[in-house]
Amino acid sequence: MGKALRPTRWLTLLYLLPGLAVYSFVVLVPILSAFRYSFYSWTGGPRRSFIGLDNYVEIMRDHVFWHSFLNNGLMTVYGLIGQVGLAFLFALFLLSRAVRFKALHRTISFFPSTLAPIIIAFLWTLIYNYNYGLLNEGLKLLGLERLAQSWLDLSGPIVLLVSIPLSWQNIGFYTLLMLAGLSAINKEVLEVAELDGATGFRKAWYVIIPLAKPTLMVASLLCIANNMRGFEHIYAMTGGGPGNASSVMALYAYDTSFLRFRYGYGSALAIAIMALTLLIILLSAFALQRKRSTDGGVS
Amino acid sequence: MELRAELATERESPNLMRFGKKLVMNGIMLLFTASCIFPLLWLGYSSLKTQAEFSNSIISLPGKLHFENYVEAIKLTNMPQLSLNSIRVTAISVVLIVLIAFITGYFVARLQFKGKRLMVIYYLFGLLVPIHALLVPVYLLFKETGLADHWYTLVIPYVAFNLSMPILLVSSYVTGIPKEIEEAAAIDGLSFSRTMFMIIMPMAAPVLTTVAILQFFACWNEFSFALVLLKDASMRTVPLGMSYFKSQYSTNYPQLMAGMVLSMLPVTIMYFAFSSRIIAGVMAGAVKG
Repeated sequence: MGKALRPTRWLTLLYLLPGLAVYSFVVLVPILSAFRYSFYSWTGGPRRSFIGLDNYVEIMRDHVFWHSFLNNGLMTVYGLIGQVGLAFLFALFLLSRAVRFKALHRTISFFPSTLAPIIIAFLWTLIYNYNYGLLNEGLKLLGLERLAQSWLDLSGPIVLLVSIPLSWQNIGFYTLLMLAGLSAINKEVLEVAELDGATGFRKAWYVIIPLAKPTLMVASLLCIANNMRGFEHIYAMTGGGPGNASSVMALYAYDTSFLRFRYGYGSALAIAIMALTLLIILLSAFALQRKRSTDGGVS
Repeated sequence: MELRAELATERESPNLMRFGKKLVMNGIMLLFTASCIFPLLWLGYSSLKTQAEFSNSIISLPGKLHFENYVEAIKLTNMPQLSLNSIRVTAISVVLIVLIAFITGYFVARLQFKGKRLMVIYYLFGLLVPIHALLVPVYLLFKETGLADHWYTLVIPYVAFNLSMPILLVSSYVTGIPKEIEEAAAIDGLSFSRTMFMIIMPMAAPVLTTVAILQFFACWNEFSFALVLLKDASMRTVPLGMSYFKSQYSTNYPQLMAGMVLSMLPVTIMYFAFSSRIIAGVMAGAVKG
């Protein structure tokens, strides 16, 4: 670029500073201060007492926290199947000549992902409701009335039950992501594959999946990140219940701080959540990357 | 040999097989799409029933349309106030996000300066941070600095947490604009700032529109930070107000549903008015991001 168009150093700073300032204030400063508070016992009053690593020692022994962590993990697995997996299938369908009303499917299935998570959670609380729920009503219509339940009170499958609304809301988004990735695949490659006799399932497995790997990887990482940070749906649907059966890490940190007023411990939990989440994202990025290169370098 | 066998079976019963496959694929898609829209339609028509009518049969259509539920829901939720708060917070946030993302994205795409790489990585980090882990520390920070419970409170986290992706989108879009345009502007004697805002910004309108629409949804729907940063009832946004409404009046289902429909209305109108644009924008963002 020509010299006349170079801004001075001061102008550069002036333009970039507002963004960096607001971003740092809400992202970096809280992380640093949480790190500091995590060494204190603090209930929000003026008195803070330094307790060293005690909060972290407590986290190591905190069954509810680790249970919540496992729930995040379980939700991630359900998410990978219910969001990335199904979305991939739907995207393949939507690319096939056989499927009709493509625009309609795309438009309607993306709509739920534009709604507030809190509203989705209320809607599904109604769907799962014992007396007034669509789910039990549907079972009644199918003559399966004996299966009717107060669904959100079941502690056994509760994580699956709260994962379904999450998937339902997000499938449309992942489908679009896949469609974008898949339509970038060279059409000629697919035609050659078809001429070679690869159709339907074989075409999907041997040709499309390897070519779509970058898209699948991005979608999987996004899905992992989103499920590790899940909060609103659980907060509004079950509040972590019954008992702590559906608790997730962010909700547990919220409860600890805002219901039990343990800000020091809550801050330590925030640091732990951050560390665990980043670790999992990095590990899965590494694993997916490695898998890709051992598969013969198709990218 | 194997190949020939496969082709032969294809030839033997191609029509029947293809028809069956077509039926299954279309069936699955139709079923899924129906499952996406039916619960929302159910919400819509149930909100027009009386409570007695609803508990009598939860699935049937309303006999007479009862708009009273809406009148009550508007009163009980104080919907005008909630909407005003949401509109204010969302509008200011979206404008600031678009402006900051445009400037930052433009600098990243076009200029070399000290610390550029570090800045990009720093913004990318925002995509990885589990923001809900920050609820507690952000609350403490806002309480200590006295920033909680004002009309502008939510603008700060909404802008900050929604910068990363837009910056990426803008910078990859600007990279695609020919550099000769800026050179021509320089020859015509335009300053750096005027070139950026008056020549390049209009050219980047498509990506800025995409960013604005997507961030509109993100800000309008946000709940967690509103929950922890606002104690004052007069500052509540629509999702936050709805959560209080739900916990206080959840026995009258049609009324609750009317409230939910009202809270979904702006996003629904926005979505169906611009759906093709939104979908194209998301797909473009997916490829570039």
